[in-house]
Amino acid sequence: MQDSRSRASVKSLLKREIGKIRGRLKPPAYRGVWDVETIDRRRLNLLLALVLGLAGLPVFMLYVLLVMSSFANTMLSGPDIFSARYSIENWRMLFEGRLSPAAGQQYTTRDIIMIIVNTLVVALGVTAVVLVVSVMAGYAISRMRFRGRTRLMELMILLHAFPGVALIIAVYAIYVWTLGFIPTENTFAYKSYMMVYTVFARAALEIPMSIWLMKGFFDKIPWEVEWSALVDGASRFKVWREIIIPLVKPGISALAIFAFLAGWEDLIYVHVFLYPEIKTLATFIEEVVGSIETTYLPVVAAAGTLYLLPTILFFVLTQQLLLQALSGGVKA
Amino acid sequence: MRVRLNPAFLFLIPALTLILVFYVVPLILSVYIGFTPLQRWNLNRMGSITAYNFERLFYMMFHDPDFGKVIRTTIVFTAFTLAINVLGGLGLGLALYLMDEVLSLPYRILWLLPRMTPVAVYSLLWYYFFLGGEEGTLNSILLRLGVINEPLSWGTDPRLLPETAWVILILVNGFVGVSFGMIVFYSAFHSIPREQVVAARVDGATTSQIVRHVLIPQVRWHIVYVTVWQLLSLLTTFAHIFLLVEWGAVHRWWGSTWALYVFNVAFKTYEQGLAAAAATVLVIIGAILGLVALRILKFKEMMVEPKGEI
Amino acid sequence: MVEVRLEKVTKKFGRVIAVNKVDLVFEDGKFTVLLGPSGSGKSTLLYLVAGIYRPTSGKIFFDDKDVTNLPPRERNVGLVFQNYALYPHMTVYDNIAFPLRLRKEPPEKIDSKVHEVAKLLRIEELLDRFPSQLSGGQQQRVALARALVKEPSVLLLDEPLSNLDALLRLTIRAELKKLQQKLGITAIHVTHDQAEAMSMADKIAVIDQGTLQQVGTPEEVYLKPRNLFVATFIGNPPANTLTGSVQTVDGTVFVEVGSARYQLTEEVSKIVREAGVEKLVVAFRPEHAKIVESPLVDPEGDLVLEGDVYVVEPLGRENIVTLIVAGMPIKVVTPPDVKPHSSSKVYIVVPRNRVMLFDVETGLNIEFLIREIHQKIPD
Ligand SMILES: Nc1ncnc2c1ncn2[C@@H]1O[C@H](COP(=O)(O)OP(=O)(O)OP(=O)(O)O)[C@@H](O)[C@H]1O
Ligand SMILES: [Mg+2]
Repeated sequence: MQDSRSRASVKSLLKREIGKIRGRLKPPAYRGVWDVETIDRRRLNLLLALVLGLAGLPVFMLYVLLVMSSFANTMLSGPDIFSARYSIENWRMLFEGRLSPAAGQQYTTRDIIMIIVNTLVVALGVTAVVLVVSVMAGYAISRMRFRGRTRLMELMILLHAFPGVALIIAVYAIYVWTLGFIPTENTFAYKSYMMVYTVFARAALEIPMSIWLMKGFFDKIPWEVEWSALVDGASRFKVWREIIIPLVKPGISALAIFAFLAGWEDLIYVHVFLYPEIKTLATFIEEVVGSIETTYLPVVAAAGTLYLLPTILFFVLTQQLLLQALSGGVKA
Repeated sequence: MRVRLNPAFLFLIPALTLILVFYVVPLILSVYIGFTPLQRWNLNRMGSITAYNFERLFYMMFHDPDFGKVIRTTIVFTAFTLAINVLGGLGLGLALYLMDEVLSLPYRILWLLPRMTPVAVYSLLWYYFFLGGEEGTLNSILLRLGVINEPLSWGTDPRLLPETAWVILILVNGFVGVSFGMIVFYSAFHSIPREQVVAARVDGATTSQIVRHVLIPQVRWHIVYVTVWQLLSLLTTFAHIFLLVEWGAVHRWWGSTWALYVFNVAFKTYEQGLAAAAATVLVIIGAILGLVALRILKFKEMMVEPKGEI
Repeated sequence: MVEVRLEKVTKKFGRVIAVNKVDLVFEDGKFTVLLGPSGSGKSTLLYLVAGIYRPTSGKIFFDDKDVTNLPPRERNVGLVFQNYALYPHMTVYDNIAFPLRLRKEPPEKIDSKVHEVAKLLRIEELLDRFPSQLSGGQQQRVALARALVKEPSVLLLDEPLSNLDALLRLTIRAELKKLQQKLGITAIHVTHDQAEAMSMADKIAVIDQGTLQQVGTPEEVYLKPRNLFVATFIGNPPANTLTGSVQTVDGTVFVEVGSARYQLTEEVSKIVREAGVEKLVVAFRPEHAKIVESPLVDPEGDLVLEGDVYVVEPLGRENIVTLIVAGMPIKVVTPPDVKPHSSSKVYIVVPRNRVMLFDVETGLNIEFLIREIHQKIPD
């Protein structure tokens, strides 16, 4: 009786608190002009826009050419975008596994699908590992007392600074050693282990920065929220699950996107640990471009565009969040 | 007697495990491998200890012409790319800050694009741009303009080396690296109270005076921070160079930095002992720069003590 | 020094009207205080004068020069921000010298000017420090020095005292006023603190929701508030207000408040009758009322109200007595020896010349209404 009443009161209290804090965490609304209004800023704006635009234009053009080439009958390089013929032929060939009009089928459709699936598995795996590990550790470092707390954070920064090349040699040595215990004849177990190891190794690379980011998000939650909930008799785990986590949701989503993109775009780790048994889009492109004789670039352009697409989509949709998180790590 | 475990430890177990397995152990192991004759991943060779790798590295530095190219490339590449990343990032951050916010948004997206693009795709873009044949974008444009009359292999043509290979490396990495500075500086400028800018205006400052006297002096620490951090990552990362060398877009030696060299020795020529020895040099540089970065971050101030015992 | 004149100045931020058709003159060499609650548009108005904002419509003049579209640089104004906006990377000396350096004045001249203004503000020994090494009051002086060093024709102050503790505020308030008199500079000071405004101003301009409510000397604004907003915003405690209905008995016009009747003058009666006003707000300042034990038969026709004592707050120098009159709380300031018992029945007497009457609908003071009508229809 007593219990259910207090639970209800905790719930309503939490709702109110969360609402309040959501409001506080939101960045203040942009307040119009910040420079002096009586000064004409049009010239400055125009000048800067022009300079930045011109400087960035070449790169931007490269992207445009890549995407357009994936639909063209030739690799485009500028003015020829008007004379080329456009179709979805390249995309069809890509999914049929024919990498040039002349060549036969080098891959099956299933191969291509598996390549995409593998890329997704790596990306999602990295996301999951990074999220679980850094949300837990970020919370502990932000909210709990333990000896060596500051040291641990310093270590994280130092680790982040450590050269990946140096690590990867030893990480691979461990990989070779542990693979020796997996029965080679069981291909499924073997490949699964390869995948899992790669995912963890790649995720580990993201861990120091992610914990640092997550800690920053937890730091922003006022202590009063936790206290008031605890005073009202909620257990610590409950507080964690029902208050803290909902409050850092924006942080978690930012982190998830980061981790996903990191796993999705990875080349070095999948090259070292998975290639050639398990291919991803990165190693697929590497392989196709590398085999000069058979390269028909418009199809590669299609593969590249396919690979690029989720990144751009994610990025444009969430760039505000990403910028916020990126700059959150360095407030001095 | 029951040992009372600090609950914080439970939350930290996954992180600590990962750090142990993928950082601490490999780090020690990597230095150790540097002292073993490990080759072709034949782990049995890890039993014996030798300083041979370091001796060989030292010898190569002075007598191996290819390794000499790698060292020169590393120095030139790091110096120029660093300058571009820091100064370019500062310029970009400043320009975006000075622009009206609505206007700056598409530019922020545009300039972050290379950083967000998968390495393989980004490399593909540039590979194709500098492609040796007539269909390479640069060649086809220059041919059309009549600047050259035969297509050039920009990154490998002996007549153009090493400068063109370096320019390619610097350009490709510069466009990626510049966005780090951009983000850091942009948000640093935004954390300066706007009243200061307005106050300077009221006192009669022009835009360039505000930039020189009010804005730049207040991001001095950020400049040092970005410099250190970028120096570190330029010395140790190689992903954006890797495919360009692999695909033959740039010369094997004039296009390799120390980090890429380490990687290729370990995974292409399979001399892991030598590679680990070369990597140890990077580890030492990394440790020093990392410590410097820590000091600059004014790290302690960012560690807020937890308030209650929860 | 200049006179600053605003003509029908309006400033909109999107759909928010921050300043609404303000006509206002800041007299040459006078200390004018812009007073209003938070969000009323005071800062906006000040920034319009400084040239930080450009008016949506209307004009701004410095003497006869139209400065509406001139940037701050060409207006020669000194501005002190609420948070002082000192440059954290410059020493106090460099902060103060900054405006002069921007003008490219010769170093010796800069040096002597900085020392002169530092001496004036008694911060000479702070010149080598950085802003972070200063107390709030010291920072405030540095900001003031930076504003004054360029010998501006107008000094603009945006709540410069609000970040200081109560005691310091009192001292600096007096010093600031003296300094302004000594320099004879045109000053515009923004505050939401009515006591600060009363004590410093030659003239107070009361603003609410972007609209100018009243401009006048502190006495005028205090004793003859133009409308209910001014009456209740100024004074601590603010003026008491009671709504009463207008009654006519045997040709004489009264306002009936609770059980009390207050007879209106001939002039007011006329207006009330002509305009068909049915309700009036009767207002008076707490310190203008007296508490008496028994209802005197009052020949002067003063306002006499019957009330129950609710609570007495002794403040040492005086007591504040809260009473309930016709269901409404009323505050009266009494000498410290007047301490009526709680819930006892007492009478409040307000002398006739201290009673203010306001139109319920417009909130306008009836006296101003009469004056405005006279101005419109000069007989
Ligand atoms: N740059 C801006 N963009 C949008 N709205 C603004 C801006 N500046 C002020 N406002 C709005 O205009 C109104 C007046 O603001 P102003 O800052 O002038 O008030 P104030 O009287 O100075 O208040 P305070 O005492 O709180 O400083 C407010 O409603 C405010 O929200
Ligand atoms: Mg204000």
